[in-house]
Amino acid sequence: MSLITTYCHLSADQCSVNGKVVSTRERSAAGSWFKQIYKEQEFVYPKFYKMDALSQAGFLASELIKRANQGIVNSYKDDEIAMLFANQSSSADTDLRFMHSYEHNGAPSPSLFVYTLPNIVLGEIAIINKWYGENMFAVLPKFAPGFFADYGRILLSTGAKAVLCGWLGVLGDHIEVFVWLVENESENGLDFNKENLLELAGI
Amino acid sequence: MTYIGAEVIISPLGRTTAQNWAAISANQSGISLVKQAGFDNADLYLSKMLDLVDDYKFERLLSDALTAVSEQIDPKILTSQRTIVIISSTKGELDKDINDPFGKSIAALVERFSLVNQPLVLSNACISGVLAINAASNFIQAKIYDHAIVIGCDLISDFVVYGFQSLFAISDKPCAPFDASRNGITMGEGCGAVVVSNTKEIFRNGALQLLSGTSANDANHISGPSRTGEGLFRSVRKTLESNQIAPDEIDFVCAHGTATVFNDEMESIAFDRVGLTNVPLSSLKGYFGHTLGAAGVIETTASMQMMRHGTLLKSLGYHESGTSKKLNVLAENVSSRPETILKTASGFGGGNASLIIRSL
Repeated sequence: MSLITTYCHLSADQCSVNGKVVSTRERSAAGSWFKQIYKEQEFVYPKFYKMDALSQAGFLASELIKRANQGIVNSYKDDEIAMLFANQSSSADTDLRFMHSYEHNGAPSPSLFVYTLPNIVLGEIAIINKWYGENMFAVLPKFAPGFFADYGRILLSTGAKAVLCGWLGVLGDHIEVFVWLVENESENGLDFNKENLLELAGI
Repeated sequence: MTYIGAEVIISPLGRTTAQNWAAISANQSGISLVKQAGFDNADLYLSKMLDLVDDYKFERLLSDALTAVSEQIDPKILTSQRTIVIISSTKGELDKDINDPFGKSIAALVERFSLVNQPLVLSNACISGVLAINAASNFIQAKIYDHAIVIGCDLISDFVVYGFQSLFAISDKPCAPFDASRNGITMGEGCGAVVVSNTKEIFRNGALQLLSGTSANDANHISGPSRTGEGLFRSVRKTLESNQIAPDEIDFVCAHGTATVFNDEMESIAFDRVGLTNVPLSSLKGYFGHTLGAAGVIETTASMQMMRHGTLLKSLGYHESGTSKKLNVLAENVSSRPETILKTASGFGGGNASLIIRSL
């Protein structure tokens, strides 16, 4: 039985793990909301500051899930955790910044260009964790629990023992992030199905 | 068994598969010097569809590809509830709507062809195409769908050209994959399509067998290839093992071969580790350029044409080995009917993917 064992939400002003709020945005604070979470949660991964917003969102959610479910670090071989992510606007948040670099700032920025693909966040999470498993990033018109349930099940029946799934809605001030872990061999959690995903997502 | 067929290629070399095969089997390239195409008006070698003048180019190519596919299969398949269309692309119609580069084109496709299921867009950099064909196979084996039409499409835009220029990744001559003198990619644009199905009879021109492949991340760098070829090695090994195929059963490798110094070197190390250094191998980037999200589909379709016509295409631009592990890169076309071919892809984000096609 595949179960949703851990999940994380990020919105424009709240960050929660398994439904419990862990950070609330301080509008007056300097720096971005994602950096506020990074500091409050005392993460230490300086490369975070080089990442674009999509990768920062993926970093924060996946690290918070690991912290809440420490078993995943040791329970699986390095290619047994697959990643299945999607969103509606691809890498548009960074695409706009990259376009700005050559239209208004004199020259195309290579450090922005390398983030102009939505699957880069999967690479960042793979690098941090040394995960060599299957990856997929889909661009969908809206959050589609059926897609995650169908393809997640495929990944779990073709070699993966766990799937880190994510809906990464990040475009300007619009932040709608829901990341969850599905595990094949676990005793506690919710059935991995469309209905539970729709209810948990709150999207 | 899963079948693959009804392959379509639209590229600078022609608007039909037959035109493309006629050109590539005569070793013609779609690459030409395009004036003032780069940042600061630099002239660049590109494989560009200079006659593509539509306002919505991405939408046009998707539509043309789907029309061409529909002429090669049972016409009922297109509008069946049991069919999904999978699009592989990195940037879609970016020039028209940077905030939503796929939405409008996909909606137009659904309406024009009366598609029942919402198409799925996969955007995984340069492995998108191979990943999409594998996803098609997985959906069918899981009995979620019976048929999948995979369309890979990407366009040359200022956005991607300036980006690769900023990385100093563009070759100053037509790209030369695996050659000692290679110094970067040549960008390309185009569209490829295939149909994957559980039913052989839907194909009007016969089918080949698709052996579903796997992907693996390098877990190494977001924009540079692994020095040990770890992800590609793992992906190819898993694909071979899960299909119970030994390396010496592979008759031809259609490699990714972007012609950057580091990518081709990485591939040589990975293929050496798997035991594929003696297998005839080509990169097709010298014909089509690097078509990014479309590359995996276009190059798979071209490989299928090689199997059907009994000709292995030479790796255009290759003259002298330029990798630390020597590969059997084809310097001339070879008349041969390969039974089993391996297609690989590697890309930004550390992705690697592979699949196998067999003749029936």
